[in-house]
Amino acid sequence: MKAALKKIVFITIISLLFFSCGNNKQQSNGKVTVVFWHSFVSSTVPALNELIARFEREHPNIEIKAQYVPTGDALIQKLVTAIQSKSAPDISWIHSDFMEDLVKADAIYKIKDFSEGKNGISKEDMADIYPSLIQYASWRGTLYSLPMEATNLALLYNKDMFKKAGLDPNHPPKDWNELHEYAKKLTLDTNGDGKNDQTGMFLPIYPAAGPLSAWMVWQWLPYLWQAGGEVINDQQTKVLYNDAAGVEALKLWQDMYNELSLSTFTSDYDVAFASRHLAMAMDGPWNLPRYNDILKNLNWAFAPLPAGPNKQATIVGGEYLAIFKQSKNPDAAWEFVKWMTKPEVQAFWAMKSGYLPIRHAVKNVPEFQEFLKKNPNFKVFVDQMEVGIAQKSIDYGGLQITRHIAEAIEKATVGKMDVKRALDESANKSNQLLSSYSKK
Amino acid sequence: MNETEILKKENKKEALSSLKKNGKAEKSKPGRGRYKKGDGVSALLFLSPTLVVFATFILFPVIFSFYLSFQKWNMFSSQTTFVGLDNYIRMFKSEEFWQVLKNTAVYTFGTIPLNMGFSLLVAYALNKKIIGKKFLRTAFFAPVIVSPVAAAVIWRWLYDPNFGLINWFIGLFGINPVNWLNDPTAAMFALIIMGVWKTFGYNMVLFSAGLQGIPETYYEAAMIDGASGWTRFWKITIPLLSPTTFFIMVMSMIGSFQVFDIVYVLTSGGPLGSTKVLVFYVYEHAFKYFDMGYASAVAYVLFAILFIFTMLQIKYMKSKVLGN
Repeated sequence: MKAALKKIVFITIISLLFFSCGNNKQQSNGKVTVVFWHSFVSSTVPALNELIARFEREHPNIEIKAQYVPTGDALIQKLVTAIQSKSAPDISWIHSDFMEDLVKADAIYKIKDFSEGKNGISKEDMADIYPSLIQYASWRGTLYSLPMEATNLALLYNKDMFKKAGLDPNHPPKDWNELHEYAKKLTLDTNGDGKNDQTGMFLPIYPAAGPLSAWMVWQWLPYLWQAGGEVINDQQTKVLYNDAAGVEALKLWQDMYNELSLSTFTSDYDVAFASRHLAMAMDGPWNLPRYNDILKNLNWAFAPLPAGPNKQATIVGGEYLAIFKQSKNPDAAWEFVKWMTKPEVQAFWAMKSGYLPIRHAVKNVPEFQEFLKKNPNFKVFVDQMEVGIAQKSIDYGGLQITRHIAEAIEKATVGKMDVKRALDESANKSNQLLSSYSKK
Repeated sequence: MNETEILKKENKKEALSSLKKNGKAEKSKPGRGRYKKGDGVSALLFLSPTLVVFATFILFPVIFSFYLSFQKWNMFSSQTTFVGLDNYIRMFKSEEFWQVLKNTAVYTFGTIPLNMGFSLLVAYALNKKIIGKKFLRTAFFAPVIVSPVAAAVIWRWLYDPNFGLINWFIGLFGINPVNWLNDPTAAMFALIIMGVWKTFGYNMVLFSAGLQGIPETYYEAAMIDGASGWTRFWKITIPLLSPTTFFIMVMSMIGSFQVFDIVYVLTSGGPLGSTKVLVFYVYEHAFKYFDMGYASAVAYVLFAILFIFTMLQIKYMKSKVLGN
């Protein structure tokens, strides 16, 4: 009995010791290790490995340890825990919505701490990066991260369906009127049972308050801008999405939602598109490699987003790299972030990964020019970067305001509410929130 | 049930009661405990793994979140700010909170009667001698252990407005198709149905155990007296089952108020917030907006509601169901 007791005590102590052991492993071969958290989908990982191999070849003293973290919510939750337990990575993907919290917690470096130093980036190079990306990578006018790649939205459409409906397959809708008209023409009930067998256009309206609503807002914002609207004023004291442009943009969505019976469209849009049940949808370049593969038997193409009553616009997104103050090797981390902005690296990465380059100069890289000639769909996205607008980062309460916009979209479509009223209700909430911040 | 089985039961009862007596006898002799010096230490040692886990993952979070409910904290910074009752005041002033509370109540009071009625019915039916009893019991219990995510995939398909099995089925009776998950009224109904499906198996097992504990002799006696099947069920089964019923009711109330997983995977609180329930609301504020203080305050209000409900149930129902 006593022996057994001793054993148990022994095992308990050993296991407690294991618990208390931290991750204080040091690199022994003289190399500096940089831990990099990302959420690349598995099909991008081979390209990432090639990218890292190239970096390590050019920087033999630095080792990049890329660690996958599930995207969005999971990434930020993991970052929170890591910061609290002092085990943050050196570099991580971050999302602009969380910039406020990260900056307030003093968790990340300002970019100018490095870019204006010895191993910096020239002003010309900085100015070459698309301004929309720089805006999105900043918080309250200060740059806290640099883009690794860019994305935007374009219009995916099925050419055969255009032909069948008597539309010119090489003439995708170029403004809202055409979009609206084509969407109706392409919505068909072929067997006359009262249910649509082919839907003209997909709008990402989810009956959900969850993580998907941000995606819904992301797809709606280009329409707001195309109509000449803005989410928030420059002083960030008042939201503007409920003005005339917002009403016009949401009215278009409401009309299409009702006329195309989108409330009963429940399948995933990409599946519906692949199985010839959907004619048009908004989509990003990250799906190109996959579509080249799964849509082989389909006659499809990407086109720029149709222009609105005010202008042509699309939303620009991307992945942004921030360097954490807990990093033991911030200079090595910076080396990677800086290297990522080089035109030839950007060209390499864009061709391998299917993401868009972050700066104009990439278009001068000869291999990239060749690549664009061979990939007209990819070129649509690259060209669209010129009219790309980034979601203005909202200094305080950005997440809630996004949620408010989502609520308005849901109310106007699913809830059949008057567009102006739906937007006003949400705008009131947002303005209340903003004034509660300004009081502090 | 034959005589030997009854005898066995009797023996068991005797054994149980003698155990109880012994227990009492030992307790009534103070000063002459069975514990020796040093036993406490080794007992603690043996318990330590459980205690450590309990303290780290249950006790600490419970106390810490109570503390947090009076603080403002976004989880990123290492400091929290004391805000007094601000979180609670904000909550009671928020329209959304009351809406969420109402949704939770609708879900709870929609689920419990259906759930209990259905699980009792199935348990009663399966208590008879029928073929495939074990298989059926397993089949009815299966939803309890099925992952909610996998289940939601199936239910989403069932609820599909165009191709769903449920709309096809009600169409046979000439009912118009319902847009289950995209209509604010229907969505809560859809959630309740899935909630009942997901949890009734557990209650069925409890009811089965309760039913097996009722001695057959009562039924035999009643049959000799000429009582009908319905009378036997109403006058024997229901009263003798009441302790089980009481237990299930309390537990279902707690479980339904805390519903989260099926909401998260089926509707994510939508459409138009019509299925947003309390725990989902807590989750949203804690892990979406990183408003930990507010989320903790809501969690403690949920605790208070459950505490009051359970206390009321115990006060007004315990004496009725447990007799003495």
